[in-house]
Parts: sequence; structure tokens; C-alpha cells
Amino acid sequence: MARRVALILTGLPPDPEQLSRYLEDEREDAYERLVDELLANPRFGEHQARYWLDAVRYGDTHGLHLDNRRGIYPYRDWVVKAFNNNLPLDDFITWQLAGDLLPNPTLEQRVATGFVRMNPTTSEGGAIPAEFQAKNNFDRVENLGTVLLGMTLNCTRCHTHKYDPIQQTEYYRLMAFFNNTAEYSMDGNAYVYGPVIRAPENQADWNQWTALETERETLLSQAGEEIERRLTEMQLHAEPTTHWSSENWKISKTVSMESPIPPEKDWDKAGDLPGIRRGNLPGGEKAVWLSFDVSVPVDQVLWLTYSGGPDSLVFINEIQMPLPHERVEDQRITSVELAFSEGSHQIQVKMAGTMTLTAVEARLDNAWQTMASEGMWEACTSKERLLMLADARGPLGHVVFQNPAHDLVDRITRKISTFTTSLVAKDRSTPRTTQLLRRGEYNLPTGDPLQPGILKVMGAFPKGAPRNRLGLARWLTSREHPLVSRVLINRIWQRTFGEGLVRSSENFGLQGTQPTHPGLIDWLAVELQDSHWDLKHMLRLMVTSRTFRQQSNWRQDINDPPNLLLARGPSYRLDAEVLRDLSLWASGQLDPHMGGEGVKPYQPSGMWLAMAHPGSNTKRYVKDEGRRLYRRSLYVYWKRTSPHPMMSLFDAPSRETSCVRRSRTNTSLQSLGLFNETQRLEMSRLLAERLIREQPNDEERLNLLFGLLAGRNPTDNEKTACEGLLDKLRKRYATAEEDALALLSYGDTLRNTKLNPVEHAAWSQVAITVLASDVAILLY
Amino acid sequence: MKDNHPIRESELMMTRRQLFGRMALGLGTAAMADLLGPSLLSAGAPSGQTGTHHTPKAKRVIYLFMSGGPSHHDLWDYKPKMTEMFGEQLPDHIRDGQRVTGMTANQKNGLPVAPSKYKFTQHQNNDRGVWISELLPHTASVAKELCVVHSTFTEAINHDPAITFIQTGSQIPGRPSLGAWLSYGLGNLNENLPGYVVMHAHTSFPEQSLFNRLWGTGFMPSDHQGILLRSQGDPVLYLSNPKGVSSQDRRAQLDTLAAINQGQHKQFADPEILSRIRQHEMAYRMQSSVPELMDLSQESPETIELYGQEARKPGSFAACCLNARRLAERGVRNIQIFHRGWDAHGSLPREHESQCKDIDRGCAALIKDLKRHGMLDETLVIWGGEFGRTAYCQGGLTRENYGRDHHPRCFTTWMAGGGVKAGITYGRTDEYGYNITDADGNTLIPQPSTDKWTPGTMHIHDLNATILHLLGIDHKRLTYRYQGRDFRLTDVHGHVLHDLIA
Repeated sequence: MARRVALILTGLPPDPEQLSRYLEDEREDAYERLVDELLANPRFGEHQARYWLDAVRYGDTHGLHLDNRRGIYPYRDWVVKAFNNNLPLDDFITWQLAGDLLPNPTLEQRVATGFVRMNPTTSEGGAIPAEFQAKNNFDRVENLGTVLLGMTLNCTRCHTHKYDPIQQTEYYRLMAFFNNTAEYSMDGNAYVYGPVIRAPENQADWNQWTALETERETLLSQAGEEIERRLTEMQLHAEPTTHWSSENWKISKTVSMESPIPPEKDWDKAGDLPGIRRGNLPGGEKAVWLSFDVSVPVDQVLWLTYSGGPDSLVFINEIQMPLPHERVEDQRITSVELAFSEGSHQIQVKMAGTMTLTAVEARLDNAWQTMASEGMWEACTSKERLLMLADARGPLGHVVFQNPAHDLVDRITRKISTFTTSLVAKDRSTPRTTQLLRRGEYNLPTGDPLQPGILKVMGAFPKGAPRNRLGLARWLTSREHPLVSRVLINRIWQRTFGEGLVRSSENFGLQGTQPTHPGLIDWLAVELQDSHWDLKHMLRLMVTSRTFRQQSNWRQDINDPPNLLLARGPSYRLDAEVLRDLSLWASGQLDPHMGGEGVKPYQPSGMWLAMAHPGSNTKRYVKDEGRRLYRRSLYVYWKRTSPHPMMSLFDAPSRETSCVRRSRTNTSLQSLGLFNETQRLEMSRLLAERLIREQPNDEERLNLLFGLLAGRNPTDNEKTACEGLLDKLRKRYATAEEDALALLSYGDTLRNTKLNPVEHAAWSQVAITVLASDVAILLY
Repeated sequence: MKDNHPIRESELMMTRRQLFGRMALGLGTAAMADLLGPSLLSAGAPSGQTGTHHTPKAKRVIYLFMSGGPSHHDLWDYKPKMTEMFGEQLPDHIRDGQRVTGMTANQKNGLPVAPSKYKFTQHQNNDRGVWISELLPHTASVAKELCVVHSTFTEAINHDPAITFIQTGSQIPGRPSLGAWLSYGLGNLNENLPGYVVMHAHTSFPEQSLFNRLWGTGFMPSDHQGILLRSQGDPVLYLSNPKGVSSQDRRAQLDTLAAINQGQHKQFADPEILSRIRQHEMAYRMQSSVPELMDLSQESPETIELYGQEARKPGSFAACCLNARRLAERGVRNIQIFHRGWDAHGSLPREHESQCKDIDRGCAALIKDLKRHGMLDETLVIWGGEFGRTAYCQGGLTRENYGRDHHPRCFTTWMAGGGVKAGITYGRTDEYGYNITDADGNTLIPQPSTDKWTPGTMHIHDLNATILHLLGIDHKRLTYRYQGRDFRLTDVHGHVLHDLIA
């Protein structure tokens, strides 16, 4: 039971130490305590996020044609964070659909809108932009239908729905909500496919960022009275600082790091003043130069933000500035405070290449700008407020809060310097016109322009809600909406019990299956809303229920193979990611690092190259090194036209389209993967090492092996079978030590030479066998 | 064990997937199980019953897919009048408002007519002969076997949507591929090899992307996906035992595994556990059957000569064709070879010459080889790409060098064996190879579309419907329910071209 509930909630078995604590806990609520522990484990969010990422079709590439890299993994990390923090599911949905439209949105809320950008995109040579504007939007509407409404809207793209009461016009009204996003319909094959936002690179950075944000808000509120007293002074100070200007922004070709400032002919004019954003920075030992002039009528401070690695340099009038803060190894972007005296100045920046891909970006900001134009503290962003408070030359320069503010700015700047970019949603200022497209053809718009609208059969649009994505979110999460909470709770049930209460979890329409327990799903859907959309509460209810805690053994008294009656506990083959994580975990190698760019574990060579366009930047698979190889499978790099074969082999979807229910197949190729794949060979060797080192004899070692993988000791039958195998292999490797050594050579980690290779090889083959067996790969 | 024992009953109540495991018995398929009603399931079917909708003409299919869009102008569709029109603008009434891709829409030189530089010869077939260009001399030698369709058409004008369309019946990703539909409909006759095998042939111009979705399963269970037979590393992923593990070692491991899994089955009685035991055994058999398949040393020198010495190079198109015949012999029913590099926007002559050299001999050899093995009648061979190429030039035009853009309105596809009429041509295009015409060369009004089939034309849905038909499947009845809709490969379209069927 502990194994079952741990696998359901966290995707990993319970730690041996946790398991024995639970088994020894004689309190009545020992099980409930275990459940609470598991719900609080950060692994919980990772495991739950995976299902959501399937549904929203998260990938690390654009998905079509070149299938180039796309920078959106901060969204994935945000989903993990949201589940771990138990963000109410109505907020979870609202932020994703419309975080950018909330008042003064936080970084989290904006990163969450990556959901809207998750559709596959192309930039194929001959593609017609209008065609893909339509296709991108079809994809969003249909994804929304599957993920939140539990129904296919695809039919209504071309004609009024045959079975469900939905009109073709309504499809296009729904599409109008999305038809106004600012990104161009073609992705330019670019990693940074705007609009984007800078966001934390990994989960630890997210946490530190949240802590810094909290600290900032606390400090600003402490300084509140002081600020109020000096408001007039601040307004007076702000006004003259707005008269600065900059011009002549130029950017150079890529040069080597050692190269001096490039000659005149190697420079391009840059638009988008006062700043630039274009293309990607070069990697490693290369750099590009940025140059512009700034003139200020009074002595004042401006903030320069620029992308580049830690070896970037800034010159004012050809004099090198000291580094803004101590060196940050993985720096991609940083901000520096520049104090100018009255007059004109030339700024030159050497933007050094970075270890990880980032956009070329530079910007000049004045923290006092909003104060000058609006005259109100409330109108300024938190970022501006803190900078004003920290400005030593400003009217707050001598208050007690200035020093801590300055220190905080420094720490925030340093944190932001490793921020990567993530695709987000943003609306255009002038809306696009949406019309019904006859037969779903982009070039056959018909009828009057359509205003954004909802499906009438699913309740009214909330009063006073704006006619934009935020209003759409309000409609979906309103108490009156008949479907969203049912659809969500059904999928939560599905991942707990293996099958949904509505078994066709992708279809709640007339053509779907009827719920097996209609009263139960109704009650759960209402409870989800009543609990303020509390996911952990709902999961706790499910896994502590008697239904869940039943034995999953066959019942002689009930003839119900598909378990429609829920008269026994769940039992099914675990997902691709869990199978891989299990071997990493059992061998003690699972790297706990959370988040960051997708990792590339072992993969047979040539798989990408055999299919990729020569112009694609994902044509070569370059295996990672070191601990990244042992990262949890959630973080495995997801190339949508060719996902990792061990994922596809065990029914992971391609993430080109939504998947809310994976198939669970049994194939012979899976068998080959289970026994012969490099990572599994390496993990079984390390697991064998663990068995040999931690336990003194065969019996204890088998107990540990089964304890880890099955949560129990082996049965007599299993013991006999394993001992027989062990015996055979010992004899075999004793006569062929070179075979033992060959087998122990798989993977990047080195074999422990202190161990007898014969013994080690025999145990590693026993370990891989048990890892491939149904005691390990099934939930029961 | 008593007959009404619940465990026994559960074994009888097979899941769809399980049924697949048993298809080697000739029981039919999961799809057929639905079509024929449940009675067959428990009763068991007489061995040899095919379980198809009608008597199939073909038992298997070998699809030679030319990714990128081969030029019908330079290979198959002879347009002598274009020679006189060299460099003149394509008349507006021919283009007729047709959309042009972003690559040539605003070309400085407009849309100048580019006649093929290659010599065409009329080859005897069983009809009025067929014109074939000098780029395909070997293929021309089997002209009497070919059913050449000049009037294939599609709506998509860019690679990704077009190739997704022809292989899955939809321009937007997410549907099962043709191969997956066939796997679902036909099942697997071989206990030692996968039922659906895909190969990627080498090219000098790997200029298109391929995608897993082209042999993927979309919303169907993933066991219907095509299995890649690779020319690099293990022919089938993870096929080889690691160094230091012998076949006997693996046998011992699998016996231990089976003992453990049997124990699980005793406790949980899940039929999937038994199915998995069988799959482990099939994997073990594949470890010898696949290397045996790939070992060409048993092939006679005459056979190698037929395919050319290229056939000895793993991954060459010729080697893939030879493998295809070997797979067919071993009961694999569903074989696809993808050859990339046909997207000749710029230097068409240089690229197509090399491409044709890659494939020509292999195509002809495959047909001859199947024929002498007595297998051509029951093997449907298909050759074609996702669209054709334009009559007008893309980029600079000279007599010797030119490029052609994507052209969906007509292109040439051929089929052979497997119940299609041998040695005929079908469909006709105008003197610019731009639009499909009627048999007398008159413009079709309205233009052919999926709304209603026009005689003499073959939309890619019609092609797919015809392929299924030849294999004994009614494309309107082979359905898979997803999100409440019964999906078909041909969507709500498709017309079986009985004119092509012998």
C-alpha cells in the first residue's frame, strides 16, 4: 500500500527509511501521515506536472518542419512549482490562460501564459502566414476543448457539431479570444520567439526569486510612511530625469572574445529604441559589441540591462566600468547602474557569448519615469519602487531604507543575471478581426466579424468580465460552469485509479462513455469547487478512501475484468518516465536537481540525424555529461518530431497534440529496451553494487532488491528463480571474466573496481531482470 | 481448471491488445473483431480466415515514399509543347488564381515556363505505352508492370502539412498514419518480426525532415507504430544484447522473468501479464530473426546484380528494397521506405539525377525480384511523393539548370502488383503539366476536389482508399473511435479507383 500510494502521488516508491518508519508506526492514522508526507514531497509536483504537460502538449522544440529549439522550460518548472505549492486549480487555469491580463501580474503569472504558446509552430519556406495564423488558433481552441471541456471541438471548425450542441459560429467566437495574441504566426525557427519574458532557470532559482520578491514587498511596505512623507520631493526629483535621450544604437557582427572593437563596416543599425532584441548570442568564446550614445540634461542615474556571459564589459566614453556584481558563472543577462553627468556620453558593451542559449537584448531604463508621468507611487511597478528607494542620489538617498534597498537590488540583479527566456502570451493593442472560416479554410472568411464569445450550452459569460482571455478564464472557472471541474476531477481520478470515472476522459460529449459512478463524479466535482479547487485535498480524499485501499488482487466473487465496479484496487503498467526514474532511484543515482533546460541522457546514435532537416538545430543529439544524465525523466529533452525512444516505446505521446490518456501497450520492443538500453544497464550495475555493499549475503541482498522494487521480500518462488539465475551467471562469468568486465563497462560512471567483477556482473543481470519484471513495472 | 473459473474467464475476455498477440493464428485483427461481432472472439476462427471486409487482392504493401515532391515534369509527365514555351510566362488562365508558395509568389522573373531538359521515350506497356524520362532507365524496363497515375493531387503546398496529409489523412498532426491503420486493420502474420517496418534510405540531399508521426499512431494505441529498421547501430532499437551477455544468458534471464511474472499473474490474474510474457518471448526470437533478415550473404550473386552493388551498402535505397523483399517473404505485411531529397527548388537537374540514381535500379529490381519469387501478384508496390513540382521555374532559368517549386494540383504516382492493372496509365494533365484535364485534354470545370470524385483523378484520399481496398479493407468501415468520433484514414472523403484494379 505504501508503494502504491507513493507511486501514485510522487511517481517513486517510498524511501526504505520512510517505509520502515511507516511500517513501525502503530498510530491509527499512520497511513494518513504517510500520505501527508508524500503530498509535501517536492517529487509530488514533478510527478503531477507530467500529466498536465501531456495534456497541454509541452515540448522543447517548435514541432513542425525544422523542429528547432524553443525556449519555454520555465513554464514546465512553473507547473511543478504550482502543484507543489498547491496553487488552487482555478488560479492555475486563470494564470495560464490570462496571467498577463491580471492587474500588475507577477512573474509567475506571466510565465504561466506559456500555456497559450504551446501550439506547434512552423517557419517553413513557402508557408503562408495567414494559413498558420488560422492553424495555430485552431490548435489552441481544440486543445482547450480537450483539456478543460473534455470534448472535441475539431468538428465545429468546419461544420456545426453533429452530436453535441455546438455551432460553428461558436467555435470561431472561442477562437477570437486567441486571435489577438501578439506573436507572429511564423516562429522564424527561433529559440526566442517573442513575446518572451526573462524567468528563473531552475526550481531553486524560482524559490530564491520568490523569496527575494517577498523581501522586496516587505521592505517597501516598511518604507511606506517614509515614502508618503517625501512624495512631493520625489515628484520634483522625477521630472527632470525624464529628459534624457539615446541614439545611434548599433550592434556588431560576431567577433572573437579577444577581438578589439570591430571596425565601422562591421556594425548594423539596431531598432526598437531605447533598446534592442534580436537573434541569439553566440556561444562560448565569441562576443558581439553594442554601442549607443546617451545625453542627459542633469546628473542622473540610468539602468542598463544587457545580455551576455560573465566576461561581458561595459565602457563609458571608452573607460571600462567595474563589474556590476560578483561573477555569476551562468550569467546570461545583467543590469548595471550608470551614473551620468550632464552632457553626452558614448556607451559600448562587449556582450560575451554564453554557455547556454540566450537572446541578444539590451535596454536603457529610468526608474523615475513612471513617477514623473503619473506622479503616484501606486502607479509604479515594484521594480521601479525598489530602484527609487535604492537610488543614493534621489530624495530617498538618505533614509534608513536606502542601504538595505541597495543591497536587495544587488542581490536581485545577481539572481536575474542567470534568468533564461520563456515564451509568453501578450495581446496586441489593435485586435485582429475574426470571421467564420468556411470549411475551416483560412482563405474563406465569411460573414460579419465575430466578437469573442463562449459556448452557450455551457452557461453564460460572467457579468462584468472582460471580453478577453481573462473573461474566458472567469467563465471556465465560474461555479456555474458545468464541465471544467468534472473534467479535471475525472483526470485526477484517472491518474489515481488508472481509469477515469468517465473512462473516455478525452470526451464528455454525447459520444463519450457514461460515468461508471455518476453520483460520485458529481460529488467530487462539487467538492473540488467547495474546497477552493484544492488538488492536494482531493487527492488526499481519494488515496485515503476505502476504494483506493482495497487489494488489487483478482476477486473470485465478482466477474468484472475491466474493474468497472471498482471492487478491487488499481493495477496497471507504470508510465515510461516512472520506469526510468525507478531504475535511477533504486540504484541511488537519481539526481534531485529540479528544473532547467531539458537533459539528454543516452540515446542510440543517429536517431535525430536520420530524420532531421540539415538546417535544423536539433539534427544532432549531443548526450549530456555528468549528473544531468541521471536527472528525473520529467526533464528529458522533448523533441516533438522524435522524442526519446525509451519514452515513445512505453507510450509517451509525441506532444504534438494533446494527450489526456496514454495507451498502455505491451510490445516486444519494450522487452528489448528493458534489458539492453544503456541507462538501464548502468543503473542495474549500480543497483547491484548497492546490494553487494549494503547487504552481507544472497538472501539479504534479494530482500533489499525486492524491498526497493516491490516494497516486500521475495516470495519463495521468486527467491528460487533468482537464486537459480544467480547461480548460473556466477558459474558462467567465473569462466569468462572478460564478459563480466564488458558488461560492467556500460554507462559513463566507472565500475567499482573493489568489487569482484564476477559477482558484480551476476548481480547486475539479476537486478536488470527484476527491474524488467512485473513486480517492478506494475502498480498494484 | 474449471471452465467457469474467474481467471479462466478473464483470459477468455481478451482485450483488444491481447487479440493482437494472437493474430498469428489468423484470427483477424482488433479492428475486425469489432466489425465481425464478438462471436468470433470466444469461438475462435478457423485458421486462415483473413477477416477482411472483402477478398483482398494484395496481402501486403511496400510503399516507396519519395519525400520532398519528385518532379513529374522531369520523370513521368511528358510535355513536349513546353519546350517551345521556354522562358515565357505561365499563362494566367493556366494558373487560374492558384495559390503559389511564399517562395515564388513575388519572384522577380515571374513564373517562367521551364521545360524538362531530359529526353523522354515511349515504352511499351499493356495499353498505349507510357512516356518515361531518361532519368529512370531501369524503372522503364518494368513499364509493363506499372500502373502510372498522372492525376494524383492534394491541397497542401508545403512539406510538413503535405507529407502529414498523405501519410495520415490530415494536414495537422495527431492522426494515425496509413501504416498504423494497416497494422490496426491487418494485424501481424509473423511471430518473429514486427508487422509494420519502416526504413530510411540514404540520400545525398537530406533536405526534408521526417517526423515520427508519419509512421506513428496518433490517438491509436502505440503498438501500431512503425518499427524503424535502421542501417546504423542495432537494426531494431536495443536489439543486441550488451557485450558480455550471450543468448543463453538472456534465455536464463527470461525464464527467471517468466517465473516471477507467472507469480504476479497468479495473484492479479491480469491478462496483460500473460501478454507481456509472450512479448518477451517474441523479443527473444527477434534477436535471431532480425540479424538473419539483415544478413544478405544468403542472397545469390544474381540477386545482388539485379539490385546493383549498392545493395551491399547498408541504408542505400537498393539495400532497403532488397530488405523489403526479404521482409515480405517473411510475412511482414506493411513495409515503407522513405527516401528524402526530392525538394528541388534550385538545381533540379543535379539533385534529381543523383536522386534517380539512388532509387531507379532498386525500384525495378524490387518488382522483378518479387515477380520471379511469385510474390508480385500479392504485393502492392507504391511509388510517389507528397506533391509534384511546378511547370514554372524557381530562381534562374537556363536550358541546363532550373528549379521548381511545390505543386499540389497534379503529380505522378505509380503502383505495381497487388491487384492493380499492370501496364496502364491513368489520368491526364494539360500541356503545362499544371492542371488535371479530362481524357480529351479539356480543363476540368470545376477543378477536382474532395467534395465529389471526378473520373480520371486521384486525390490522395482516393489513393489511400484504393490502397486499403486492395488489401481487403473498406476505407469507410475501418474506423477508430476517439473523442466520440469514428475516425477514418480518409476522413469523410475517398473514392476507390476501381478503374485501376485488375
